[in-house]
Amino acid sequence: MIMSAYQNKVLRIDCTKQETRTEPLNMEFAEKYVGSKGLAIRYMYEDMKPGIDPLGPENNLYLTTGPMTGTPIPCSGKLSVAAKSPATGTMNDCSIGGHAGIRLKFAGYDMVVFEGQMDKPTYIVIEDDKISFHDAADLWGKTSHEAEKALIEEYGTEFSCLSIGPAGENLNNISCINSDYYRQAGRGGIGAVMGSKKIKAILIKGTQGVKVPNIKETTDRILEIFHENCLSEDNEFVFDEGTYAFLEACNDGGILPAHNFSAATDVNWDKYNGAVMKKYRLGKRGCGSCGLGCGNFMKVGDAIVEGPEYETTAASGPQCDIVSIEHNVRFNQVVDDLGMDSISAGVTVAWAMEMAEKGIHDFGVHFGNEEEMINILYDMAYRRGEGAELADGVKVASEKWGGTDFAMHSKGLEFPQYEPRGSFGMAASYAVSDRGACHMRSYTANEEVFEASCPPYTHEGKGQVLYDLGEFNAIKFSCCLCDLWGTVDYAIMAELLTLITGKEWTEEDMSTVGRRVLNIGRAFNQREGFTREHDTVPERLFKDPLKGGPADGQVMTKEGFQDMLSQYYEIMGWDENGCLPQELIDTL
Amino acid sequence: MKIKITMRGTLKKYMPGEEYRIVEVPDNCTCDEALQCIGMNYREIPRFGFVVRNGKRCFIYDRLEEGDELKAWSQVSGG
Repeated sequence: MIMSAYQNKVLRIDCTKQETRTEPLNMEFAEKYVGSKGLAIRYMYEDMKPGIDPLGPENNLYLTTGPMTGTPIPCSGKLSVAAKSPATGTMNDCSIGGHAGIRLKFAGYDMVVFEGQMDKPTYIVIEDDKISFHDAADLWGKTSHEAEKALIEEYGTEFSCLSIGPAGENLNNISCINSDYYRQAGRGGIGAVMGSKKIKAILIKGTQGVKVPNIKETTDRILEIFHENCLSEDNEFVFDEGTYAFLEACNDGGILPAHNFSAATDVNWDKYNGAVMKKYRLGKRGCGSCGLGCGNFMKVGDAIVEGPEYETTAASGPQCDIVSIEHNVRFNQVVDDLGMDSISAGVTVAWAMEMAEKGIHDFGVHFGNEEEMINILYDMAYRRGEGAELADGVKVASEKWGGTDFAMHSKGLEFPQYEPRGSFGMAASYAVSDRGACHMRSYTANEEVFEASCPPYTHEGKGQVLYDLGEFNAIKFSCCLCDLWGTVDYAIMAELLTLITGKEWTEEDMSTVGRRVLNIGRAFNQREGFTREHDTVPERLFKDPLKGGPADGQVMTKEGFQDMLSQYYEIMGWDENGCLPQELIDTL
Repeated sequence: MKIKITMRGTLKKYMPGEEYRIVEVPDNCTCDEALQCIGMNYREIPRFGFVVRNGKRCFIYDRLEEGDELKAWSQVSGG
């Protein structure tokens, strides 16, 4: 059936031939996966052969909206950016805020697929049905912010710009894509995929709209939900401090990682927390259709950023024994400008610092030294000197130089900033996540620490927690809703989808779609050869007791960890090897 | 005995305008009992999160000592 709120159009851009074509959106996929994340993964599974080189012409880059994109539904301004990851070899979908998603939808597309590769640097302009290719020789080599500034000055602020920096151009595994200066599709080397296609930037402008069956009924109800549920006091912290609120909560809860995941508390946390941030904050910013405005627009010295977020602050601060909000902001600006993921960059440098501390190899960075840390970021982005050794993240570096036990990654994606020995479920969450260590799949820290609804230092019962949270986020992000609308539930999602698409959706449907999205991600990876043996975490979690905080002394057992995996596989209907049976694959 | 109580997140509304409060509570009381001394029953707060004693997360039934700092968090969603 044709559903409202979709544009029913996919744009395919053949970069090799510099040709474009459109096709109707596969509505069977839309009904099964809704949009954004789930839809992108399903198309990837359909389009791409297993075993392709993530940096070769056969890897596609997908920009995917959802039915809610471009509507007044709060927190619906996200855009899914997906491709096979050069860092992990798995599927990879990222979520980027700002306004690019809405403009893409207004240009008339549910999805844009970039296929093939160009032979010279190019930027692409999408303006409704006019698609044009432009020489980017003058932009290649510029930082992400420099490129966006030059292009927006030429084209105007009615365009959104997605761009890469030197890290993406140099095909670094930890490179990201920037948009609206301060928003990133960060993880898994997604910037390198764009760089491999020689796309420096993508400009998007749209002048169309989104059709829904009954605009008055729809907007009235959206406004009610917005005021009743989204603008509730439970979400107030998002506007007040944004993700800075997690610093104190994670420190109190014993999951704020420090010294390259050796400790989980920082006695200096109050020197760079939300109260300090407010002294530097110029104002608040939000994405298109956002009702919460999490962004803290800050200026410290010459550095201007929207952020740093919790992840960036922890990765650049306590992980590297640096106590300075000025440093956190500067780090944030530098990695954004160079087009590097702040989580992966911070964790990689923290690992390099520990390598020097242990006397294994000196990359020129040492715990507590801000200048060394900032300097090596440039060398990583441009692949110079010791920085070149760190340019592809901790997996690649540790396999060459040693230190694998404390190279904090799963499947090649660096750990987010939640210490698993203070929240055992997070270890399994990182391990089974379809794109490598990710906190946006099953965020068990919420149940184990923030809600205290299940005990944190045990493996028992965690398979169900993993599943419930993973299913929820899978449908939430397939609706293209922002993570920070923390009170949204299946009933609201189903009601909103029903209103805008004209098709009846139920809470049970939300659960079914969420499960299906988890399965298609795993099926993609299974086709690439991933099995249980790849669902791993570093030895540090089993060998080194955690230092400090409420989880002081905690260490995990391998048996307990493996049991969490088994519990989860069983709930998912996968075999003991973590593989989907063919009859399950056939339903996808 | 006297302890210091702080509210975080949405629980701040239970101590409006106060950064913290010094409270007289029964000796050897639990975190739960201490919170009840300021009229707060965590069972009736739908999004009550966790409690922290002297900077470290603890259980709601853990016992307190003279001079302790008790912090109560609401749930924090997202990340």
